[in-house]
Amino acid sequence: MTRLLKATAMALGLAAAASSSLAADWTPPGPVKMIIAFRAGGGADTQARLIAEELEARHGWKIIPEQVTGKGGINAALALKDEPADGTAIAILVTETLGYNMVAAKGSGLSPSDFTGLTTTAGFQMGIVSKADSGYKTLADVFEAAKGGAEIRFGVMSPRLADLAYVVGRENGADFNIISVQGGKAVLDGVNAGDMDVGFMAGIQAKGVAAGDLVNLASVLSAPLVQTADAPTLDAFGAEYNADGHFVFVGPANMDAAAADAISTAIAEIVSDPGTKAGGMIKKAFGGSVVIAGDQLNSILTAGYDGAGKLMADVAN
Amino acid sequence: MTALDYVLAGVLAVIHGPEAFTLLGFPVSITVLMVVAGFFAGIVVGATPGLGQVIALAISLPILISIFGFNASALLPVMGFMIGIMKGSTVGGAVPAILFNTPGTPDSYMTTLDGYPMTRNGQAQKALRVAHFSSVSGDTFSDICLFVFAPSLAILVERYLDLPEKTALIILSLSFIAVVVGRSPAKGLAAAALGLFFVYVGTGEDFHPRLSLNAPALADGIPITAAVIGVLVIGSIFSELEKLWREKSTAGTITATSQSGDGRLHWTDIRRIAPYIGRSAVIGTAIGALPGIGSTLAATLGYASGSAFHRRRKAPDEPDFGKGAMQGIAATEAANSSVAGANLIPVLSLGIPGNTAAVFLVLAADSIGGFNPGPGVFRFTSDVNPELVIAFGLFTTMVIANILNWTVGGVFMRCMGIMIRIPRQFLLPVVLLLTFASLYVQQTSMAMIGFALFFGALGYLMIKLGVSPLPFVIAFVLGRQLESTARQAFSATGGDPFFLFSSWIAVTFMAGAVAIIVITIRRRSKSA
Repeated sequence: MTRLLKATAMALGLAAAASSSLAADWTPPGPVKMIIAFRAGGGADTQARLIAEELEARHGWKIIPEQVTGKGGINAALALKDEPADGTAIAILVTETLGYNMVAAKGSGLSPSDFTGLTTTAGFQMGIVSKADSGYKTLADVFEAAKGGAEIRFGVMSPRLADLAYVVGRENGADFNIISVQGGKAVLDGVNAGDMDVGFMAGIQAKGVAAGDLVNLASVLSAPLVQTADAPTLDAFGAEYNADGHFVFVGPANMDAAAADAISTAIAEIVSDPGTKAGGMIKKAFGGSVVIAGDQLNSILTAGYDGAGKLMADVAN
Repeated sequence: MTALDYVLAGVLAVIHGPEAFTLLGFPVSITVLMVVAGFFAGIVVGATPGLGQVIALAISLPILISIFGFNASALLPVMGFMIGIMKGSTVGGAVPAILFNTPGTPDSYMTTLDGYPMTRNGQAQKALRVAHFSSVSGDTFSDICLFVFAPSLAILVERYLDLPEKTALIILSLSFIAVVVGRSPAKGLAAAALGLFFVYVGTGEDFHPRLSLNAPALADGIPITAAVIGVLVIGSIFSELEKLWREKSTAGTITATSQSGDGRLHWTDIRRIAPYIGRSAVIGTAIGALPGIGSTLAATLGYASGSAFHRRRKAPDEPDFGKGAMQGIAATEAANSSVAGANLIPVLSLGIPGNTAAVFLVLAADSIGGFNPGPGVFRFTSDVNPELVIAFGLFTTMVIANILNWTVGGVFMRCMGIMIRIPRQFLLPVVLLLTFASLYVQQTSMAMIGFALFFGALGYLMIKLGVSPLPFVIAFVLGRQLESTARQAFSATGGDPFFLFSSWIAVTFMAGAVAIIVITIRRRSKSA
């Protein structure tokens, strides 16, 4: 039995060594197109470009960033889908694109099986946020005000979050006026300008919360927020959904294993190192790197896609 | 810290910041150096037909951040450079408009109307001096307003304008521009409708891109720069080339305009243009303070108001607006330049940019960190509020750029006038190529060239049919904002279909929008 275990361990070790040496040996057959699904100049775009810069510096690969924005990442996913699967084309999206948005964009014919998950880089610190001078301390105060007849304007930046806001309100007897805008910055602007009473913000609120201008009323993640650990999660309000999500690099389906391994390892190493420009920026803007790769990533992507229908059906009912 | 301490700290942060080098024993801070560099780069970029501040800011932001990094000490040098570019290019933008009839930016379109006729009359130097003087006066006035009112004005505007009122305000602005600019209100309305049609291709909130005919290039809509530059710049280049071609085929040669007069700006000239500068500076500043309404509208309103004033006041021997009146240049340049400073009022006090240049300042603050434009900036706390120090630091960089503008800006700008010596038949193709290149580098996609050619042809057709391209451009620029604000207003009012009539302010704006169309059409039909 011991011999069998030893042999198995040795075989696994050899396989791992072979795979990592395969990854270490891999070089792209040409310049790598990096499709960025976010608008130029924002935090997400900056993150992608800094990663591209560091990949070039560390590995000598030629990376060509290309912006393909719009439709919640669907345009970028469509642009990547038919690219060669030899490692010369990758894209940075959010996990929501491969989940809810692909289910909602019926005409696109996309599903996570059209892509190879490479690695996540960072997560979102998604909270429900209001201005400090609104007087709300937790989400319960907002529900109280809504029940008392106040019209509550709720800012969201994606259809999935609009569904989520609706369900949370419904479960607590509040009928929110849900305002859909483009990007978390627009929600922040709306809340600051008084056009919205509360809104979802995915990390952009950190500075305002630290300064005491904004308040995290609830965490929309499955876990508490790092910055405001005592803000309750949505299950405390009877909602079984959350807005867990990550920035994720993907390639086209059936990507060459050595290429996928080499690229995901290289990106993971860069974002996990706060000494690099990319790592430093991720720490500052998104509260640190979150690296999920391989089977665990694939199962997260599949679960996101499968679970999206449930939320939609719940809203439709 | 008192308010005065904050002002001092802001000035010192700029003057005594990290040192770049010493000049005659005095240390020159890196921020001052960056403002100077940005200012001269801005004039060159603005004066180069086909380039503009948006392109310059878009290219320089990633480069600056990679040089200065992501810490708070990078904020003032990076934003100082960007403010330099904004100030320089606003002045420089008048150069191609006056000399070549090709506006470098949409803002300077109205400058071509009188600037180019002056060049044709041999008064290019004078036109440039009028443009510089008006631009700098407007800019300085606007900056003073920014320094005085920033903490309170935009907050007041925001308090009274909710989403329905903002939607109504955009509709009012659009109908005003459509019927007031150009000779025919009907043509103006048609041009605005066409602009709205094109901007709504591929956009919207649904996951399926509307009106895109399943073409991937249209899936995320038509790029604003390609459409705007296509209609304004490429269209007028086509039209100019056609004129040259006709000139050559009728006369056998292309004549060059000889310049006459001393080209100087005399005290009597300044007295003549001063009322126009004053009116336009107030209009530009007021518009700049409204979030989301940019300098193109200000330039148009400044010109329209100046034009009405001119009709009543002009001496019989003076040329009309559109025929080479220097008052026309003064009205436009003072208005579009005075937006720049005031535009930072909503940016700094609410974090909401009013024009594309301000968007880049917000992006810079966002990317670097340590400065979060919003209500938190103007908190005069007793312990140091570093964001307020940065805000006053930014004001200081603006003052430095203004001093440069008053002293060496005009000379440098007129040096750019050397381009008038290049024969147009050689220059115009170069400008065309530069325009295409600058569009291509923005998205590194050949689709941009295709869009630019299409909208260039459209712009050419509009010139031929006597349709002003400006309503098209304004509609294109405001179209997305109109849709999103209207959608938000509809949601915010709980799905009220009559949200545009939900408050007396919104009703007033909507009534104004209808009234301006009716009144203008009646007036025109009477005078016809």
